[in-house]
Amino acid sequence: MSEPETREIRTDYLARVEGEGAMLIRLRGDELEEVQFKIFEPPRFFEALLRGRQYTEAPDITARICGICPIAYIASACNAMEAVCGVDLPDELRALRRLIYCGEWIESHVLHTAMLHAPDFLGYDGAVELARDRRDLVELALRLKKAGNTLMRVIGGREVHPINLRVGGFYRAPTVSELQALVPELEWARDAAVELTRWVAGFEFPDYEQDYAFVGLRQPGEYAIERGRIVSSTGLDIDVSEYEHHFTETHVERSNALHSTLEGVGPYLVGPLARYALSSELLSPLAREVAAEVGLGPVCRNPFRSIVVRAVETVYAADEALRLIAAYERPAEPWVDVVPRAGTGHGCTEAPRGICWHRYEIDDEGVILDAKIVPPTSQNQKVIEEDLVGVVRQSLHLPEDELAHRCEQTIRNYDPCISCATHFLKLEIERM
Amino acid sequence: MSAAVAVLGSRYRGDDAVGPLVGDRLREAGLSVLDCREEPTRLLDAIEGLDLLVVVDAVRSGAEPGTIHRLESHGEPLPGDLALASTHAFGIAETLELARALGRAPRRVVVLGVEGARFGLGEQPTPAVAAALDALTAQVRAELAEP
Repeated sequence: MSEPETREIRTDYLARVEGEGAMLIRLRGDELEEVQFKIFEPPRFFEALLRGRQYTEAPDITARICGICPIAYIASACNAMEAVCGVDLPDELRALRRLIYCGEWIESHVLHTAMLHAPDFLGYDGAVELARDRRDLVELALRLKKAGNTLMRVIGGREVHPINLRVGGFYRAPTVSELQALVPELEWARDAAVELTRWVAGFEFPDYEQDYAFVGLRQPGEYAIERGRIVSSTGLDIDVSEYEHHFTETHVERSNALHSTLEGVGPYLVGPLARYALSSELLSPLAREVAAEVGLGPVCRNPFRSIVVRAVETVYAADEALRLIAAYERPAEPWVDVVPRAGTGHGCTEAPRGICWHRYEIDDEGVILDAKIVPPTSQNQKVIEEDLVGVVRQSLHLPEDELAHRCEQTIRNYDPCISCATHFLKLEIERM
Repeated sequence: MSAAVAVLGSRYRGDDAVGPLVGDRLREAGLSVLDCREEPTRLLDAIEGLDLLVVVDAVRSGAEPGTIHRLESHGEPLPGDLALASTHAFGIAETLELARALGRAPRRVVVLGVEGARFGLGEQPTPAVAAALDALTAQVRAELAEP
Protein backbone atom coordinates (compact mmCIF):
# COMPACT_ATOMS: atom_id res chain seq x y z
CA MET A 1 0.00 0.00 0.00
CA SER A 2 1.39 3.37 -0.89
CA GLU A 3 1.66 6.26 1.53
CA PRO A 4 -1.34 8.57 1.37
CA GLU A 5 -0.72 11.70 -0.64
CA THR A 6 0.13 14.76 1.42
CA ARG A 7 -1.28 18.14 0.56
CA GLU A 8 -0.47 21.51 1.92
CA ILE A 9 -2.69 24.46 1.23
CA ARG A 10 -1.15 27.75 2.09
CA THR A 11 -2.01 31.36 1.58
CA ASP A 12 1.04 33.41 2.28
CA TYR A 13 -0.78 36.68 2.28
CA LEU A 14 -4.48 36.78 2.96
CA ALA A 15 -6.33 39.38 0.96
CA ARG A 16 -9.28 41.51 2.01
CA VAL A 17 -8.43 41.59 5.70
CA GLU A 18 -6.96 44.40 7.76
CA GLY A 19 -3.31 43.67 8.43
CA GLU A 20 -0.99 40.83 7.66
CA GLY A 21 -1.63 37.18 8.41
CA ALA A 22 -1.35 33.69 6.96
CA MET A 23 -2.92 30.29 7.09
CA LEU A 24 -1.51 26.77 6.85
CA ILE A 25 -3.54 23.60 6.49
CA ARG A 26 -1.75 20.25 6.29
CA LEU A 27 -3.57 17.14 5.11
CA ARG A 28 -2.39 13.52 4.85
CA GLY A 29 -4.74 11.88 2.39
CA ASP A 30 -8.07 12.98 3.76
CA GLU A 31 -6.81 13.25 7.32
CA LEU A 32 -6.38 16.75 8.64
CA GLU A 33 -3.01 16.97 10.36
CA GLU A 34 -2.69 20.60 11.25
CA VAL A 35 -4.40 23.96 10.99
CA GLN A 36 -2.71 27.22 11.83
CA PHE A 37 -4.03 30.71 11.56
CA LYS A 38 -0.99 32.93 11.91
CA ILE A 39 -0.70 36.59 12.56
CA PHE A 40 2.66 37.99 11.58
CA GLU A 41 1.85 41.66 11.51
CA PRO A 42 4.74 42.96 13.57
CA PRO A 43 3.92 43.73 17.18
CA ARG A 44 3.60 47.42 17.87
CA PHE A 45 4.13 47.57 21.61
CA PHE A 46 1.34 50.02 22.33
CA GLU A 47 1.02 48.82 25.89
CA ALA A 48 4.67 49.64 26.57
CA LEU A 49 4.61 53.04 24.93
CA LEU A 50 1.60 54.06 27.03
CA ARG A 51 3.64 53.75 30.22
CA GLY A 52 4.76 57.13 31.46
CA ARG A 53 2.14 58.99 29.42
CA GLN A 54 -0.72 60.97 30.92
CA TYR A 55 -4.09 59.29 31.51
CA THR A 56 -5.64 61.86 29.17
CA GLU A 57 -3.43 60.67 26.29
CA ALA A 58 -4.58 57.04 26.25
CA PRO A 59 -7.64 57.58 24.01
CA ASP A 60 -5.68 59.37 21.26
CA ILE A 61 -2.69 57.03 21.45
CA THR A 62 -4.71 53.82 21.38
CA ALA A 63 -6.93 55.17 18.58
CA ARG A 64 -3.87 54.76 16.33
CA ILE A 65 -4.07 51.01 16.77
CA CYS A 66 -6.75 50.99 14.07
CA GLY A 67 -7.87 53.28 11.25
CA ILE A 68 -11.16 51.42 10.86
CA CYS A 69 -12.30 51.24 14.47
CA PRO A 70 -10.58 54.09 16.34
CA ILE A 71 -13.73 54.88 18.35
CA ALA A 72 -13.59 51.43 19.93
CA TYR A 73 -10.16 52.22 21.34
CA ILE A 74 -11.02 55.79 22.29
CA ALA A 75 -14.24 54.77 24.05
CA SER A 76 -12.71 51.81 25.90
CA ALA A 77 -9.78 53.94 27.07
CA CYS A 78 -12.09 56.78 28.18
CA ASN A 79 -14.34 54.34 30.06
CA ALA A 80 -11.33 52.91 31.85
CA MET A 81 -9.90 56.30 32.85
CA GLU A 82 -13.29 57.54 34.01
CA ALA A 83 -13.63 54.34 36.06
CA VAL A 84 -10.26 54.83 37.80
CA CYS A 85 -11.16 58.41 38.65
CA GLY A 86 -14.66 57.55 39.85
CA VAL A 87 -16.50 59.58 37.22
CA ASP A 88 -19.84 58.51 35.79
CA LEU A 89 -20.36 60.11 32.42
CA PRO A 90 -23.63 62.14 32.34
CA ASP A 91 -26.30 60.55 30.16
CA GLU A 92 -26.16 63.16 27.42
CA LEU A 93 -22.40 62.70 26.95
CA ARG A 94 -22.78 58.92 27.10
CA ALA A 95 -25.41 59.20 24.35
CA LEU A 96 -23.07 61.28 22.21
CA ARG A 97 -20.32 58.68 22.62
CA ARG A 98 -22.83 56.03 21.55
CA LEU A 99 -23.84 58.14 18.57
CA ILE A 100 -20.34 58.48 17.15
CA TYR A 101 -19.86 54.76 17.79
CA CYS A 102 -22.91 54.12 15.57
CA GLY A 103 -21.02 55.92 12.78
CA GLU A 104 -18.07 53.59 13.25
CA TRP A 105 -20.30 50.49 13.17
CA ILE A 106 -21.83 51.68 9.90
CA GLU A 107 -18.57 52.46 8.10
CA SER A 108 -16.72 49.39 9.36
CA HIS A 109 -19.58 46.91 8.81
CA VAL A 110 -20.36 48.22 5.32
CA LEU A 111 -16.72 48.17 4.23
CA HIS A 112 -16.42 44.54 5.26
CA THR A 113 -19.86 43.34 4.20
CA ALA A 114 -20.00 44.81 0.73
CA MET A 115 -16.42 45.37 -0.34
CA LEU A 116 -14.40 42.64 1.37
CA HIS A 117 -16.71 39.75 2.23
CA ALA A 118 -19.52 39.79 -0.37
CA PRO A 119 -17.12 38.98 -3.26
CA ASP A 120 -16.46 35.60 -1.57
CA PHE A 121 -20.07 34.56 -1.92
CA LEU A 122 -20.43 35.74 -5.50
CA GLY A 123 -17.25 34.26 -6.92
CA TYR A 124 -15.47 37.54 -7.49
CA ASP A 125 -11.81 38.17 -6.73
CA GLY A 126 -12.66 41.41 -5.01
CA ALA A 127 -14.57 44.65 -4.99
CA VAL A 128 -13.32 45.75 -8.43
CA GLU A 129 -14.90 42.75 -10.21
CA LEU A 130 -18.03 43.16 -8.11
CA ALA A 131 -18.23 46.84 -9.10
CA ARG A 132 -18.01 45.96 -12.80
CA ASP A 133 -21.05 43.67 -12.54
CA ARG A 134 -23.03 45.26 -9.75
CA ARG A 135 -22.21 48.93 -9.89
CA ASP A 136 -25.55 49.76 -8.22
CA LEU A 137 -24.70 47.77 -5.11
CA VAL A 138 -21.17 49.06 -4.81
CA GLU A 139 -22.47 52.63 -5.20
CA LEU A 140 -25.03 51.94 -2.49
CA ALA A 141 -22.37 50.53 -0.18
CA LEU A 142 -20.02 53.45 -0.77
CA ARG A 143 -22.71 55.99 -0.01
CA LEU A 144 -23.78 54.05 3.05
CA LYS A 145 -20.24 53.86 4.32
CA LYS A 146 -19.88 57.56 3.75
CA ALA A 147 -22.95 58.23 5.90
CA GLY A 148 -21.15 56.48 8.76
CA ASN A 149 -17.95 58.39 8.07
CA THR A 150 -19.84 61.69 8.00
CA LEU A 151 -21.36 61.00 11.40
CA MET A 152 -17.85 60.35 12.72
CA ARG A 153 -16.54 63.55 11.16
CA VAL A 154 -19.31 65.81 12.41
CA ILE A 155 -18.97 64.60 16.00
CA GLY A 156 -15.32 63.59 16.01
CA GLY A 157 -13.75 66.31 13.86
CA ARG A 158 -12.49 63.85 11.25
CA GLU A 159 -13.32 60.34 10.08
CA VAL A 160 -10.07 58.55 10.72
CA HIS A 161 -8.70 58.88 14.24
CA PRO A 162 -11.23 61.50 15.39
CA ILE A 163 -9.75 64.23 17.57
CA ASN A 164 -12.75 65.61 19.43
CA LEU A 165 -13.16 62.91 22.06
CA ARG A 166 -11.53 63.10 25.47
CA VAL A 167 -11.60 61.50 28.88
CA GLY A 168 -14.81 62.88 30.40
CA GLY A 169 -16.60 63.59 27.14
CA PHE A 170 -15.84 65.83 24.15
CA TYR A 171 -13.85 68.98 23.49
CA ARG A 172 -16.84 70.45 21.73
CA ALA A 173 -20.40 69.18 21.57
CA PRO A 174 -22.08 69.45 18.18
CA THR A 175 -25.04 71.80 17.86
CA VAL A 176 -28.53 70.41 17.42
CA SER A 177 -28.65 71.72 13.88
CA GLU A 178 -25.31 70.13 12.96
CA LEU A 179 -26.75 66.76 13.91
CA GLN A 180 -30.18 67.47 12.43
CA ALA A 181 -28.49 68.11 9.10
CA LEU A 182 -27.43 64.46 9.06
CA VAL A 183 -30.96 63.11 9.41
CA PRO A 184 -31.98 62.86 5.73
CA GLU A 185 -28.83 60.94 4.79
CA LEU A 186 -29.17 58.66 7.83
CA GLU A 187 -32.78 57.95 6.90
CA TRP A 188 -31.56 57.01 3.45
CA ALA A 189 -28.81 54.92 5.09
CA ARG A 190 -31.31 53.04 7.23
CA ASP A 191 -33.31 52.06 4.13
CA ALA A 192 -30.14 51.26 2.20
CA ALA A 193 -28.97 49.01 5.04
CA VAL A 194 -32.27 47.11 4.83
CA GLU A 195 -31.61 46.64 1.11
CA LEU A 196 -28.04 45.54 1.86
CA THR A 197 -29.36 42.99 4.37
CA ARG A 198 -31.83 41.52 1.87
CA TRP A 199 -29.08 41.32 -0.73
CA VAL A 200 -26.53 39.48 1.44
CA ALA A 201 -29.21 37.23 2.95
CA GLY A 202 -29.82 35.92 -0.57
CA PHE A 203 -26.28 34.52 -0.86
CA GLU A 204 -25.65 30.79 -0.69
CA PHE A 205 -24.15 29.82 2.64
CA PRO A 206 -22.07 26.75 3.31
CA ASP A 207 -23.96 24.45 5.63
CA TYR A 208 -21.78 24.74 8.71
CA GLU A 209 -22.57 25.40 12.34
CA GLN A 210 -20.63 25.31 15.56
CA ASP A 211 -21.83 25.36 19.12
CA TYR A 212 -19.93 28.52 19.99
CA ALA A 213 -19.46 30.05 23.41
CA PHE A 214 -20.58 33.61 22.66
CA VAL A 215 -19.08 36.48 24.65
CA GLY A 216 -20.21 40.08 24.47
CA LEU A 217 -21.43 43.07 26.41
CA ARG A 218 -24.97 43.27 27.64
CA GLN A 219 -26.69 46.40 28.85
CA PRO A 220 -30.25 46.46 30.16
CA GLY A 221 -32.63 48.16 27.74
CA GLU A 222 -30.23 48.64 24.83
CA TYR A 223 -28.19 46.65 22.36
CA ALA A 224 -24.78 47.03 24.00
CA ILE A 225 -22.24 49.20 22.21
CA GLU A 226 -20.34 51.65 24.42
CA ARG A 227 -20.92 50.03 27.81
CA GLY A 228 -22.31 46.96 29.54
CA ARG A 229 -21.42 43.89 31.57
CA ILE A 230 -19.46 41.07 30.01
CA VAL A 231 -21.78 38.10 29.56
CA SER A 232 -21.54 34.77 27.77
CA SER A 233 -23.91 32.16 26.40
CA THR A 234 -22.37 29.81 28.97
CA GLY A 235 -23.72 31.83 31.91
CA LEU A 236 -20.93 34.28 32.65
CA ASP A 237 -22.13 37.70 33.84
CA ILE A 238 -19.36 39.91 35.21
CA ASP A 239 -18.32 43.50 35.59
CA VAL A 240 -15.65 44.49 33.04
CA SER A 241 -13.17 44.82 35.93
CA GLU A 242 -13.41 41.06 36.55
CA TYR A 243 -12.35 40.10 33.03
CA GLU A 244 -8.90 38.88 33.97
CA HIS A 245 -10.32 36.53 36.60
CA HIS A 246 -12.16 34.62 33.89
CA PHE A 247 -10.20 35.06 30.69
CA THR A 248 -6.60 34.03 30.02
CA GLU A 249 -4.29 35.18 27.27
CA THR A 250 -1.56 32.82 26.12
CA HIS A 251 1.26 33.39 23.71
CA VAL A 252 1.40 30.92 20.83
CA GLU A 253 4.69 30.75 18.97
CA ARG A 254 3.27 31.01 15.45
CA SER A 255 1.36 34.20 16.12
CA ASN A 256 2.19 37.72 17.16
CA ALA A 257 -1.26 37.97 18.72
CA LEU A 258 -2.14 36.37 22.03
CA HIS A 259 -4.74 33.60 22.13
CA SER A 260 -7.60 34.06 24.61
CA THR A 261 -9.66 31.45 26.43
CA LEU A 262 -12.59 31.63 28.83
CA GLU A 263 -11.96 29.65 31.98
CA GLY A 264 -13.91 26.40 32.15
CA VAL A 265 -15.10 26.89 28.57
CA GLY A 266 -12.11 27.32 26.27
CA PRO A 267 -12.19 29.28 23.03
CA TYR A 268 -15.01 31.74 22.58
CA LEU A 269 -16.42 33.99 19.92
CA VAL A 270 -16.84 37.76 20.05
CA GLY A 271 -18.43 40.06 17.47
CA PRO A 272 -21.72 40.32 15.59
CA LEU A 273 -22.79 36.66 16.03
CA ALA A 274 -22.14 36.88 19.77
CA ARG A 275 -23.86 40.22 20.27
CA TYR A 276 -26.83 39.05 18.28
CA ALA A 277 -27.12 35.80 20.22
CA LEU A 278 -26.85 37.59 23.55
CA SER A 279 -29.09 40.59 22.87
CA SER A 280 -31.09 40.21 19.64
CA GLU A 281 -34.31 41.10 21.51
CA LEU A 282 -32.79 44.51 22.28
CA LEU A 283 -32.40 45.51 18.64
CA SER A 284 -34.76 48.20 17.37
CA PRO A 285 -38.13 47.01 16.02
CA LEU A 286 -37.01 47.66 12.44
CA ALA A 287 -33.76 45.72 12.85
CA ARG A 288 -35.66 42.84 14.47
CA GLU A 289 -38.21 42.89 11.69
CA VAL A 290 -35.52 42.76 9.00
CA ALA A 291 -33.71 39.96 10.86
CA ALA A 292 -36.93 37.94 10.97
CA GLU A 293 -37.69 38.67 7.32
CA VAL A 294 -34.34 37.28 6.19
CA GLY A 295 -34.72 34.20 8.37
CA LEU A 296 -32.31 34.84 11.22
CA GLY A 297 -33.58 33.14 14.36
CA PRO A 298 -32.73 34.50 17.82
CA VAL A 299 -29.30 32.81 17.58
CA CYS A 300 -27.19 32.23 14.48
CA ARG A 301 -24.44 29.59 14.72
CA ASN A 302 -23.40 29.57 11.06
CA PRO A 303 -20.32 31.84 10.89
CA PHE A 304 -20.81 32.35 7.14
CA ARG A 305 -24.09 34.08 7.97
CA SER A 306 -22.24 36.63 10.10
CA ILE A 307 -22.40 38.82 6.99
CA VAL A 308 -26.18 38.93 7.41
CA VAL A 309 -25.91 39.76 11.10
CA ARG A 310 -23.43 42.52 10.27
CA ALA A 311 -25.96 43.98 7.81
CA VAL A 312 -28.73 43.79 10.42
CA GLU A 313 -26.47 45.59 12.88
CA THR A 314 -25.92 48.25 10.22
CA VAL A 315 -29.68 48.76 10.04
CA TYR A 316 -29.67 49.03 13.82
CA ALA A 317 -26.79 51.49 13.93
CA ALA A 318 -28.52 53.82 11.46
CA ASP A 319 -31.81 53.48 13.32
CA GLU A 320 -30.16 54.07 16.69
CA ALA A 321 -28.25 57.08 15.35
CA LEU A 322 -31.55 58.62 14.25
CA ARG A 323 -33.10 57.93 17.66
CA LEU A 324 -30.14 59.51 19.45
CA ILE A 325 -30.19 62.57 17.20
CA ALA A 326 -33.93 63.02 17.72
CA ALA A 327 -33.37 63.01 21.50
CA TYR A 328 -30.26 65.21 21.40
CA GLU A 329 -30.01 68.43 23.32
CA ARG A 330 -26.69 70.20 23.30
CA PRO A 331 -25.08 69.57 26.70
CA ALA A 332 -24.28 72.69 28.75
CA GLU A 333 -20.71 71.44 29.15
CA PRO A 334 -19.12 69.17 26.54
CA TRP A 335 -17.05 67.37 29.15
CA VAL A 336 -16.89 66.67 32.85
CA ASP A 337 -13.70 67.09 34.86
CA VAL A 338 -11.91 63.85 35.50
CA VAL A 339 -9.38 64.37 38.30
CA PRO A 340 -6.69 61.71 38.42
CA ARG A 341 -6.32 59.45 41.41
CA ALA A 342 -4.15 56.40 41.88
CA GLY A 343 -5.76 53.12 40.97
CA THR A 344 -6.67 50.68 38.25
CA GLY A 345 -9.55 51.12 35.83
CA HIS A 346 -11.16 48.93 33.19
CA GLY A 347 -13.07 49.78 30.07
CA CYS A 348 -14.78 47.57 27.54
CA THR A 349 -16.87 48.42 24.49
CA GLU A 350 -18.27 46.59 21.47
CA ALA A 351 -15.92 47.29 18.58
CA PRO A 352 -17.47 46.27 15.23
CA ARG A 353 -15.50 42.99 15.51
CA GLY A 354 -16.28 42.32 19.18
CA ILE A 355 -15.33 43.38 22.66
CA CYS A 356 -12.29 45.61 23.03
CA TRP A 357 -11.07 45.49 26.63
CA HIS A 358 -8.60 47.88 28.30
CA ARG A 359 -7.01 48.06 31.74
CA TYR A 360 -4.86 50.95 33.00
CA GLU A 361 -3.07 51.58 36.24
CA ILE A 362 -2.34 55.25 36.94
CA ASP A 363 -0.81 57.19 39.81
CA ASP A 364 -2.10 60.31 41.61
CA GLU A 365 -0.56 62.54 38.95
CA GLY A 366 -2.39 60.67 36.21
CA VAL A 367 0.75 58.99 34.87
CA ILE A 368 0.06 55.59 33.29
CA LEU A 369 2.04 52.90 35.12
CA ASP A 370 0.70 49.88 33.29
CA ALA A 371 -1.64 49.16 30.40
CA LYS A 372 -3.24 46.10 28.89
CA ILE A 373 -5.35 46.00 25.75
CA VAL A 374 -7.26 42.97 24.47
CA PRO A 375 -8.62 43.58 20.97
CA PRO A 376 -11.41 41.47 19.46
CA THR A 377 -9.49 39.65 16.72
CA SER A 378 -6.98 38.12 19.10
CA GLN A 379 -9.90 36.74 21.10
CA ASN A 380 -11.37 35.16 17.97
CA GLN A 381 -8.16 33.50 16.77
CA LYS A 382 -8.77 30.18 18.45
CA VAL A 383 -12.36 29.96 17.19
CA ILE A 384 -11.16 30.82 13.68
CA GLU A 385 -8.78 27.85 13.83
CA GLU A 386 -11.57 25.59 15.07
CA ASP A 387 -13.81 26.76 12.23
CA LEU A 388 -11.01 26.01 9.78
CA VAL A 389 -10.78 22.45 11.12
CA GLY A 390 -14.53 21.98 10.83
CA VAL A 391 -14.81 23.57 7.41
CA VAL A 392 -11.84 21.65 5.96
CA ARG A 393 -13.18 18.31 7.24
CA GLN A 394 -16.46 19.10 5.54
CA SER A 395 -14.89 20.32 2.31
CA LEU A 396 -12.17 17.76 1.55
CA HIS A 397 -13.95 16.83 -1.69
CA LEU A 398 -13.30 20.30 -3.07
CA PRO A 399 -10.46 20.91 -5.51
CA GLU A 400 -7.43 22.61 -4.01
CA ASP A 401 -8.17 26.15 -5.15
CA GLU A 402 -11.79 25.97 -4.03
CA LEU A 403 -10.76 24.54 -0.69
CA ALA A 404 -8.22 27.32 -0.23
CA HIS A 405 -10.86 29.87 -1.11
CA ARG A 406 -13.36 28.34 1.29
CA CYS A 407 -10.77 28.58 4.05
CA GLU A 408 -10.03 32.23 3.33
CA GLN A 409 -13.74 32.90 3.35
CA THR A 410 -13.92 31.19 6.75
CA ILE A 411 -11.33 33.58 8.10
CA ARG A 412 -13.04 36.58 6.56
CA ASN A 413 -16.26 35.58 8.37
CA TYR A 414 -14.63 37.25 11.33
CA ASP A 415 -13.72 40.49 9.58
CA PRO A 416 -10.36 39.99 11.25
CA CYS A 417 -8.50 43.14 12.05
CA ILE A 418 -5.03 41.76 12.21
CA SER A 419 -3.38 45.14 12.65
CA CYS A 420 -5.38 45.54 15.83
CA ALA A 421 -4.65 42.04 17.08
CA THR A 422 -0.90 42.28 17.00
CA HIS A 423 0.50 43.06 19.02
CA PHE A 424 0.61 40.03 7.35
CA LEU A 425 -2.54 36.99 6.35
CA LYS A 426 -0.95 33.98 4.73
CA LEU A 427 -2.84 30.79 3.82
CA GLU A 428 -1.28 27.37 3.42
CA ILE A 429 -3.00 24.04 2.87
CA GLU A 430 -0.56 21.12 2.85
CA ARG A 431 -1.66 17.69 1.62
CA MET A 432 0.73 14.87 2.36
CA MET B 1 -8.36 71.76 -15.05
CA SER B 2 -8.87 69.85 -11.81
CA ALA B 3 -5.79 67.99 -10.70
CA ALA B 4 -4.45 66.33 -7.58
CA VAL B 5 -1.26 64.72 -6.35
CA ALA B 6 -1.30 61.50 -4.35
CA VAL B 7 1.78 60.24 -2.55
CA LEU B 8 2.28 56.69 -1.39
CA GLY B 9 4.73 55.03 0.92
CA SER B 10 6.02 54.86 4.43
CA ARG B 11 8.40 57.35 5.97
CA TYR B 12 9.88 54.61 8.07
CA ARG B 13 10.87 52.17 5.33
CA GLY B 14 13.98 53.46 3.55
CA ASP B 15 13.34 54.48 -0.06
CA ASP B 16 9.62 53.93 0.40
CA ALA B 17 9.69 57.37 2.06
CA VAL B 18 10.15 59.08 -1.30
CA GLY B 19 6.40 59.69 -1.79
CA PRO B 20 5.81 61.30 1.63
CA LEU B 21 9.04 63.36 1.28
CA VAL B 22 7.93 64.76 -2.07
CA GLY B 23 4.53 65.38 -0.45
CA ASP B 24 6.23 67.49 2.25
CA ARG B 25 7.97 69.63 -0.36
CA LEU B 26 4.79 70.13 -2.36
CA ARG B 27 2.86 71.09 0.78
CA GLU B 28 5.58 73.58 1.70
CA ALA B 29 5.04 75.11 -1.72
CA GLY B 30 1.35 75.48 -0.87
CA LEU B 31 -0.03 72.55 -2.87
CA SER B 32 -2.54 70.16 -1.43
CA VAL B 33 -1.49 66.54 -1.45
CA LEU B 34 -3.57 63.39 -0.95
CA ASP B 35 -2.14 61.02 1.51
CA CYS B 36 -2.70 57.46 0.35
CA ARG B 37 -2.53 55.96 3.76
CA GLU B 38 -6.18 56.85 3.50
CA GLU B 39 -8.34 53.82 3.06
CA PRO B 40 -9.41 53.26 -0.55
CA THR B 41 -13.05 54.30 -0.33
CA ARG B 42 -12.03 57.76 0.85
CA LEU B 43 -9.36 58.05 -1.79
CA LEU B 44 -12.06 57.17 -4.30
CA ASP B 45 -14.03 60.24 -3.28
CA ALA B 46 -10.96 62.44 -3.40
CA ILE B 47 -10.08 61.52 -6.98
CA GLU B 48 -13.57 61.48 -8.43
CA GLY B 49 -13.98 63.49 -11.60
CA LEU B 50 -10.41 64.80 -11.70
CA ASP B 51 -8.86 65.70 -15.01
CA LEU B 52 -5.45 64.62 -13.79
CA LEU B 53 -4.10 62.58 -10.91
CA VAL B 54 -0.34 62.47 -10.36
CA VAL B 55 0.80 59.55 -8.21
CA VAL B 56 4.24 59.45 -6.61
CA ASP B 57 5.58 56.18 -5.24
CA ALA B 58 8.76 54.16 -4.88
CA VAL B 59 9.19 51.29 -7.34
CA ARG B 60 11.53 48.40 -7.83
CA SER B 61 12.34 47.26 -11.34
CA GLY B 62 16.06 46.63 -11.27
CA ALA B 63 17.00 50.06 -12.66
CA GLU B 64 19.58 52.36 -11.02
CA PRO B 65 18.35 53.72 -7.66
CA GLY B 66 16.96 57.23 -8.10
CA THR B 67 15.77 56.61 -11.68
CA ILE B 68 12.40 58.26 -12.26
CA HIS B 69 9.92 56.14 -14.21
CA ARG B 70 6.87 57.73 -15.79
CA LEU B 71 3.66 55.91 -16.67
CA GLU B 72 0.61 57.55 -18.14
CA SER B 73 -2.89 56.21 -18.47
CA HIS B 74 -5.83 57.74 -20.33
CA GLY B 75 -8.47 55.48 -18.90
CA GLU B 76 -6.86 52.12 -19.57
CA PRO B 77 -5.81 50.00 -16.59
CA LEU B 78 -2.45 50.65 -14.99
CA PRO B 79 -0.22 47.63 -14.65
CA GLY B 80 -1.48 45.66 -11.65
CA ASP B 81 1.97 45.14 -10.17
CA LEU B 82 2.16 48.85 -9.56
CA ALA B 83 1.22 48.04 -6.00
CA LEU B 84 4.56 46.37 -5.46
CA ALA B 85 6.02 48.96 -3.16
CA SER B 86 2.75 49.48 -1.31
CA THR B 87 2.32 47.88 2.07
CA HIS B 88 -1.45 47.94 1.72
CA ALA B 89 -3.70 45.09 0.71
CA PHE B 90 -5.72 47.43 -1.48
CA GLY B 91 -3.27 49.38 -3.61
CA ILE B 92 -3.61 52.52 -5.67
CA ALA B 93 -3.91 50.45 -8.89
CA GLU B 94 -6.92 48.65 -7.44
CA THR B 95 -8.48 51.85 -6.17
CA LEU B 96 -8.13 53.35 -9.65
CA GLU B 97 -9.62 50.19 -11.13
CA LEU B 98 -12.55 50.45 -8.74
CA ALA B 99 -12.95 54.09 -9.77
CA ARG B 100 -12.93 53.00 -13.42
CA ALA B 101 -15.56 50.33 -12.80
CA LEU B 102 -17.73 52.99 -11.19
CA GLY B 103 -17.13 55.55 -13.92
CA ARG B 104 -15.32 57.86 -11.50
CA ALA B 105 -11.73 57.57 -12.62
CA PRO B 106 -9.62 60.65 -13.34
CA ARG B 107 -9.42 61.40 -17.06
CA ARG B 108 -5.64 61.05 -16.99
CA VAL B 109 -3.33 59.39 -14.47
CA VAL B 110 0.42 59.95 -14.38
CA VAL B 111 2.52 57.75 -12.14
CA LEU B 112 6.00 58.93 -11.21
CA GLY B 113 7.85 56.01 -9.73
CA VAL B 114 11.26 56.39 -8.20
CA GLU B 115 13.54 53.38 -8.28
CA GLY B 116 14.38 52.40 -4.71
CA ALA B 117 17.02 50.04 -3.37
CA ARG B 118 16.22 49.48 0.27
CA PHE B 119 12.91 49.27 2.08
CA GLY B 120 13.77 48.01 5.56
CA LEU B 121 12.03 49.32 8.66
CA GLY B 122 13.97 52.23 10.17
CA GLU B 123 16.37 52.56 7.23
CA GLN B 124 17.29 55.90 5.65
CA PRO B 125 16.63 56.53 1.95
CA THR B 126 19.64 55.73 -0.27
CA PRO B 127 21.65 58.83 -1.32
CA ALA B 128 20.64 58.42 -4.97
CA VAL B 129 16.96 58.50 -4.04
CA ALA B 130 17.42 61.47 -1.70
CA ALA B 131 19.25 63.26 -4.53
CA ALA B 132 16.29 62.68 -6.88
CA LEU B 133 13.82 64.50 -4.63
CA ASP B 134 14.34 67.96 -6.17
CA ALA B 135 13.99 66.72 -9.73
CA LEU B 136 10.94 64.69 -8.78
CA THR B 137 9.23 67.61 -7.05
CA ALA B 138 9.89 69.77 -10.09
CA GLN B 139 8.50 67.09 -12.38
CA VAL B 140 5.28 66.83 -10.35
CA ARG B 141 4.86 70.59 -10.66
CA ALA B 142 5.54 70.43 -14.39
CA GLU B 143 2.94 67.69 -14.82
CA LEU B 144 0.39 69.81 -12.98
CA ALA B 145 1.21 72.87 -15.07
CA GLU B 146 0.65 71.03 -18.32
CA PRO B 147 -2.80 71.67 -19.74
